[in-house]
Amino acid sequence: MNFTLSDDHLELRDAAQTFLDKEVDLRPLLVPGATATDAGYDTLWRKIAELGWPSLIVPETYGGLGMSYIDLAMVVGEMGRTLAPCPFFGTLAGTWAILRAGSEDQRARLLGRVAGGEAKLALALTSMDGAIGESVAATADGSNHRLTGTAWYVVDAAAADQIVVAARLDGRLKFFVVEAKAAGVAIALLDWRDITRQVGTVTLTGALGELLTGSDDQTWPWVRDRLYLTLAAESAAGTRVVLDDAVTYAKERMAFGRPLGAFQAIKHQLAELAGQAECATAAVHYAAWALTEDDARAPLAAAMAQSYASDAYRDATYRNVQVFGAIGFTWEMKNHLYYKRARCNAELLGPPAQQREEVIQLLERQAA
Amino acid sequence: MDFNLPGEDDPRRREIRAWLEANPSPTYRQLAERGWTAPNWPAPWGLSAGPELVVMLDEELERAGIRHPHQLNAIALNQCGQSLLTWGTEEQRQRFLPPALACEERWCMLFSEPSGGSDLGNLRTTARRVGDDYVINGQKIWNSHADISQIGVIIVRTDSAVPKHKGLSVFILDMKTPGVTVRPIVDMSGEVNEYNEVFLEDVRVPAAHRLGQEGDGWRIVVEQLQTERQGMTMPGAVWGSGPTARELLDGLIRTGRIKNPLIRDDAAKLFIEGELLRLLTYRHLSNKINGKPAGVEGNLGKMIASPHGQRLSDLAKRSQGAAGMVKNRDVLPLPDKHYGLFDNWDYAYWFSPAATLGVGTQEILKNTVAERILGLPRDLDPTAATPFNQINRPQVAPARLAAER
Ligand SMILES: Cc1cc2nc3c(=O)[nH]c(=O)nc-3n(C[C@H](O)[C@H](O)[C@H](O)COP(=O)(O)OP(=O)(O)OC[C@H]3O[C@@H](n4cnc5c(N)ncnc54)[C@H](O)[C@@H]3O)c2cc1C
Repeated sequence: MNFTLSDDHLELRDAAQTFLDKEVDLRPLLVPGATATDAGYDTLWRKIAELGWPSLIVPETYGGLGMSYIDLAMVVGEMGRTLAPCPFFGTLAGTWAILRAGSEDQRARLLGRVAGGEAKLALALTSMDGAIGESVAATADGSNHRLTGTAWYVVDAAAADQIVVAARLDGRLKFFVVEAKAAGVAIALLDWRDITRQVGTVTLTGALGELLTGSDDQTWPWVRDRLYLTLAAESAAGTRVVLDDAVTYAKERMAFGRPLGAFQAIKHQLAELAGQAECATAAVHYAAWALTEDDARAPLAAAMAQSYASDAYRDATYRNVQVFGAIGFTWEMKNHLYYKRARCNAELLGPPAQQREEVIQLLERQAA
Repeated sequence: MDFNLPGEDDPRRREIRAWLEANPSPTYRQLAERGWTAPNWPAPWGLSAGPELVVMLDEELERAGIRHPHQLNAIALNQCGQSLLTWGTEEQRQRFLPPALACEERWCMLFSEPSGGSDLGNLRTTARRVGDDYVINGQKIWNSHADISQIGVIIVRTDSAVPKHKGLSVFILDMKTPGVTVRPIVDMSGEVNEYNEVFLEDVRVPAAHRLGQEGDGWRIVVEQLQTERQGMTMPGAVWGSGPTARELLDGLIRTGRIKNPLIRDDAAKLFIEGELLRLLTYRHLSNKINGKPAGVEGNLGKMIASPHGQRLSDLAKRSQGAAGMVKNRDVLPLPDKHYGLFDNWDYAYWFSPAATLGVGTQEILKNTVAERILGLPRDLDPTAATPFNQINRPQVAPARLAAER
């Protein structure tokens, strides 16, 4: 039993912090109409690829670094803290789908390119209403498959070289790989509220799809747990940073002859957020550890982390704007970037109440 | 990082279990002789035990049906006793610690006064030096278990000519000393009394029983309150003990009440918060053993744990509706391991308002977190710098006393 981060983990986090503090510049986004592209979405990725982060979770056999989920949480946390705009989330999501559902040959071929920084991925999952794999249909065409339908809210779709698509084949959920540039693939950007990400739709009209031959009922839950961890790690770190920003501001800004932070209505709110920030971080570390150890508690831990960190981040960004006053409500401040990231993170894979329902169902099954 | 708790086959656990099987109803003195009543204290009192051993001992004592010494004699073992290790004299340690560790002398905390618990520094009880003794006069109130305690840790004013926090001193008081009168106060739960008021009239306490020097009192009690808060971060409904969210979920699932859509999501929220509190507590233990500075969990932990406990027992009540309004007739099952009072949700619920009052109110705790952890400005106290005997303001009698008149 040892609930603290090792020195190696802390070093990794510090290295990511130093790099991102230097490279991420959110100022271009503080102009109305700006999008992720204006804040280095593509250029930052090239530097990140040079650092080898795309290969963090790719096993060594496929040329990756094969690092643990705890390592990953360190890096993702820093990306969440800085809102680093770049196609990292999509590549992670696609990588996990291929890792879980691909054959040996598919993993070696597809993930080798990711590890080498030559390919970016995205994972196309949901219908407009958020149902998984319901909006794209697959049909067999000789030894190939053809995909038709539209997937929504696909993070980093426009940047991806390959898109992993969840689709129905004979009534079952399967995962396919589509070349982004292939015929019958149309990608459109959505006017997504969180402008630090790039999110779009993927419309397929008879596009050629390569079936990931190991797709089964467990593919999506397995990938989902990892995506929960990823978003939760961003959210926990984001909670911390908006709390810190609000605290700093509350120490400087004066009202009635005292700093704002001298008033209990303000300081008590910030104290509560400090509690939520601690709990969110603990939840992320626990989930990262459970996934690393392939512990039976991992699905529970991941769902707990995602629901708790989503709520904490939402509360914290709301309070953050409130503490700043009207200036916090302007486009020219970065408060709203966090506010929007928090809100979008809490909806992207289903709301916190849905993860709590998953928690209860896991407990019910355990008790049965 | 390793979130696994020590397993069933851990040799240290097996040794503890074997001893408890060979000695099925040990006295607390026997446990104390093994260093098991305060395992985290250094030798000769404890074992300098790390978090794993502490957890295993807790679990094995529970398994053997033995009430935790740190529950039975909480003030001595969790809160005040430890300060004898740093502030006490060797003679004080030899006199007071062995019976405390053996739970043969129970301790109480004589801090709060009618003048206010939050503003503890405003206390009025005085001690005057007379030869080798001090003579104490005044009144304490809200003192848990003072009626069944042999020892009281008391903070009094030894110098009124300096600002309020400066003139305070701490004594270890034999509760049988002439002039000490303890009167139980019935709390709103109506159960076996929790707290008391304590009157002190010309009570003589030897100067040798002063903890630290004259004027060290404030630092000592602040330290003791921090230690106490640390102990209250476990996810039990009542100050860290009592029923937990795990047990609530278990009861709700077994009775089918979990299917009620009006409680289901709240139950999940509480379960998650309870698990995270547990992680914070273990992480604190874990930090300690690694020699890292103690985390912020103590203050933060109680700030989260107290309202968590209130919501927890509230949900237990809500899930039962009117059926839960009959005294001690809960229909929600609870494992029989909380040793008396907290064996039912009913008492946990009616006691729960106290959770955000005792050991620092929720408001004072938030101040502490904001000021000490976040570094925000401190609240103003216009009386803080004035010599105590020059603070001249009308006395506001607590409502209870006013009503009596
Ligand atoms: C069950 C129980 C057991 C207890 N056991 C003990 C014991 O063993 N020994 C002992 O010495 N004491 C004990 N206490 C007393 C406890 O420490 C005090 O109740 C507590 O410190 C609050 O003091 P008070 O009751 O005088 O309330 P007050 O200090 O008068 O406070 C009243 C209200 O005002 C708020 N308030 C006060 N100051 C501020 C501020 N600066 N900012 C914002 N809000 C403020 C408080 O939060 C509270 O809500 C116990 C209390 C309870 C309920």
